Amino acid sequence: MLTDQERELETLDIHVNVGPQHPATHGVFRMVLTVSGEKVVDVVPHIGYMHRGAEKLSEGMDYRQALIYQDRTEYLAQFNAELCYCLAVEKLAGLEVPERAEYIRVILTELNRITSHYMFVGAFATDIGVYGTAFTYAFREREYIQEIFDAVSGDRMMYGYFRPGGVVWDVTDDFKDRVRWVCGQTRVGIDDIDRLLTKNEIFLTRCLDIGVISKEDAIDYGLSGPMLRACGLPFDLRRAEPYSIYDRFQFDIPTGTRGDVYDRYLVRMEEMRQSVRIVEQALEEMPDGPIMPEKAPRRLRLPPGEVYMRTENPRGEYGIYLVSKGGEKPYRLKIRSSCLSNLTALKQMVVGHYVADAVVILGSVDIVLGEVDR
Amino acid sequence: MTLPHEGPQEAPIVPPPPGTIADLFQEALPDIEFTATQGAVDVILIVAREDVPGVLRTAKDDPRLDLKYLRCLLGVDHMDGGLEVVYQLYSFTHKHGVTIKTRLPLDDPRVASAASIWKGADWLERETAEMFGITFEGHPNPVPLLLPDDMTDHHPLRKDNPFAQMEEWQGLRLGAEASKAGHIPAGYESIAGEGGEEDGG
Repeated sequence: MLTDQERELETLDIHVNVGPQHPATHGVFRMVLTVSGEKVVDVVPHIGYMHRGAEKLSEGMDYRQALIYQDRTEYLAQFNAELCYCLAVEKLAGLEVPERAEYIRVILTELNRITSHYMFVGAFATDIGVYGTAFTYAFREREYIQEIFDAVSGDRMMYGYFRPGGVVWDVTDDFKDRVRWVCGQTRVGIDDIDRLLTKNEIFLTRCLDIGVISKEDAIDYGLSGPMLRACGLPFDLRRAEPYSIYDRFQFDIPTGTRGDVYDRYLVRMEEMRQSVRIVEQALEEMPDGPIMPEKAPRRLRLPPGEVYMRTENPRGEYGIYLVSKGGEKPYRLKIRSSCLSNLTALKQMVVGHYVADAVVILGSVDIVLGEVDR
Repeated sequence: MTLPHEGPQEAPIVPPPPGTIADLFQEALPDIEFTATQGAVDVILIVAREDVPGVLRTAKDDPRLDLKYLRCLLGVDHMDGGLEVVYQLYSFTHKHGVTIKTRLPLDDPRVASAASIWKGADWLERETAEMFGITFEGHPNPVPLLLPDDMTDHHPLRKDNPFAQMEEWQGLRLGAEASKAGHIPAGYESIAGEGGEEDGG
């Protein structure tokens, strides 16, 4: 029997439902937190609200059509996703990509990495409570790059600009000038955000030693990208298994030491600077010439075979497992989602922290629900 | 290069050149039979499903292989050829990767779970299970991941799960049967609406 005093102190774990419609979940993500007081003791994530069957739909399309599902899957780093798909198809088809197209692709892909990380910084700062300022700074800078994408592809979101073999049409005449200007502007923009957040006392208090994950656990969970590098493992597919023309460029791979939320932020900030470096090098070397192979078949038929193509996307390793059995349509197209794998470690990171930190940790994973659910 | 124009074709088995990761597997697992083939990027090992837990465990723990990173786990429906489970592995220390595949018969699609070997396999197996109807034996939490909990009667990524009529039509419009503006393939009149295609395909 409990005494009256003990009964008064008895606590009950309660469930707190976050999402699916909740500003802190970055889309339609739902997690059920079990809290004891302010501490989280368990978390059950629920995903699939945005499952559209992109893999199945791709099986009904020919290789040219199936490309568009990449934009709709990874809607914050569309060029990166398109590149991975195109590389997978080219690998099986044996298509040679012209030099100019390779450079255009790399420039756009790296710029897309910057816009994606801008999105992260803005949303993440909002999660922490730096309401407004960082978000508007990030979105102002993002818009400069967005305008280039718009001019090149004709669309602000669903670009559909890459093709197996190259790109669909050549870039605009003022492309080089605009990109050169945006590179300088991006350096300024990153410094602005840097001065606003990085050494901010409140920001540091909210971030340091929150959501720590060890290197061993990170590997076991299959984390990738900035999440993995924040744990201290300098693994970047652009360096480890160079694809496209990434072996020609100089860039550093930033890593963290603590594996916490703050390290993930720092890694992403530095990655943006490295992306600018890559873009500037690519601009210098970009040749003139064709943008599609001369003998590019209008209707692509792939020989039977299979390939797992992976690229380093802003959120980690994005993979396309493509099975062809001959013919014009993919027999099976699996999208390896970096966000899905990064999200599997959520429970490990959140349990033991306060409810308010759960939001910060989820923000640091930088999920795109379109890619998680596909 | 001659390409087949009809019917699904299997990729030929091309033995990988000596010195690849297939030899390391042969060394580490002398008692287990497997077929090695050179894929477009990685070496592919095809193993029997009874050997899967042993092969995966050795792949992770053997210092010569040290494949600590499960990149991807997926299923493929080969129709009459059964279901296939594919494991994509990588080693940070040796910087090598491999694809391990196993076939499961359609009437008994079971394979041992890898969730006790890699924590990351948990969700990937849940997804593969719901999409293909594969049972991962020994999985700690075998509930659907992306699909609704009560959707257990069909498995979307199986080839016998049909497309909607609209999805078929989208594939036909610009695909193999590409046709002139205004043409509606037979059988799709009801979804084409009045006036046929307005955008000219």
